[in-house]
Amino acid sequence: MLSGLQNPRQAAAQLLNFALILSTAFMMWKGLSIVADSPSPIVVVLSGSMEPAFQRGDLLFLWNRNLLAETDVGEVVVYNVKGKDIPIVHRIVRKFGLGEHAKLLTKGDNNAADDTELYARGQDYLERKDIIGSVVGYIPFVGYVTIMLSEHPWLKTVMLGIMGLLVVLQRE
Amino acid sequence: MASQERITVHNLAGKLPNLKHTSDDAIPNYLNSLKFTQDHSLIDTRLALGYGAFAIAAACFLWDYKLGFESTKWFTAAAVALYSLVNGALTLWIAYVEKGTVYQGKAADGTKLTLGPPPQISVSTSTKKNEPTYYVVVDVAPKGGPSTKLEFARSFTEWFDVQGHFVALPFQTMLATTVPLIAKADPKRAAAIPPPAAAAAAAAEFLNVDTHTLDALAAAETTGAESTAAGSVGKKSKRRKA
Repeated sequence: MLSGLQNPRQAAAQLLNFALILSTAFMMWKGLSIVADSPSPIVVVLSGSMEPAFQRGDLLFLWNRNLLAETDVGEVVVYNVKGKDIPIVHRIVRKFGLGEHAKLLTKGDNNAADDTELYARGQDYLERKDIIGSVVGYIPFVGYVTIMLSEHPWLKTVMLGIMGLLVVLQRE
Repeated sequence: MASQERITVHNLAGKLPNLKHTSDDAIPNYLNSLKFTQDHSLIDTRLALGYGAFAIAAACFLWDYKLGFESTKWFTAAAVALYSLVNGALTLWIAYVEKGTVYQGKAADGTKLTLGPPPQISVSTSTKKNEPTYYVVVDVAPKGGPSTKLEFARSFTEWFDVQGHFVALPFQTMLATTVPLIAKADPKRAAAIPPPAAAAAAAAEFLNVDTHTLDALAAAETTGAESTAAGSVGKKSKRRKA
């Protein structure tokens, strides 16, 4: 039980167990983003704009390296728009030019119009650097947990509290 | 306090680790009171490695948060590699060096004393499933001399009473009578009756208890009147013997 709190070393060791769970999870995430070369190698679909391919709550795995071929028309990519912090998952429908500065236009499969409306003011197209990865795999629905967590932030506190309590209560 | 804690004696399976931990916690208390100097280097190394790894992760989090992914990519890659190294070292340290060591210390004459679970038994529990036995390996290394190993396995019932309370005296007597080095430091306990005899007597008494007493015991458990229940056991069984 809480007997460890009598002894500073044991208390530190119990706290360490909890800290290592958090830091290991974080470092695994960072390792994945290094391998995929993407700041966010796993994303959750937040809207239905790519239905029927992806639905709200799907978990997408991204790959941001062009080892064999350039990012091309038809690929589903996740991109960031300057000044907006929510990444968008859409498909590339037009490409002009080649290389780093090729001009890319995206569109949601389920949207009537292309994405020029969604881009920043004065921005008519995307470049390769705006893209944080192409979708290479997905797991349906499991991402719904994070949608729940971000829509009801108090759930985060509850979950973290329960995890912490469990670690402190069971030694080793 | 660990020694004051009561461990539910029913449903053994889940409680064995508790019995073990309570007993483990009592060892440093006892030995340090006998002028043994405890050596904390094992746990200190573990804490250093663990918190070192955590510090790397924390630093990585900070620069990633402040400066973004793209500009700190190479530092992050290095941090990930370093983190897995330190964390791997920590895992190896726990599995191959600490091995669940319960106590490490020096007697007044410089003899090194180490207590821990035997290697063939699960490190985290040093008990076997559903078997209330405390397995300990004692390693005594005199200054400059070769070390000797002593292994013992004792039933937890010797120092936990019927109600699940830890009782220090029989536990300390058990240690003092089993380990000569501890006997030398604590001649008073070593001279006491060896606990198996006392425990056997107590167990026999408990087996002879009639159904009335068992009922009273059960009732007391639910009401929490522990001391009276323990008293009644003693009285009743004595009367039966008379």
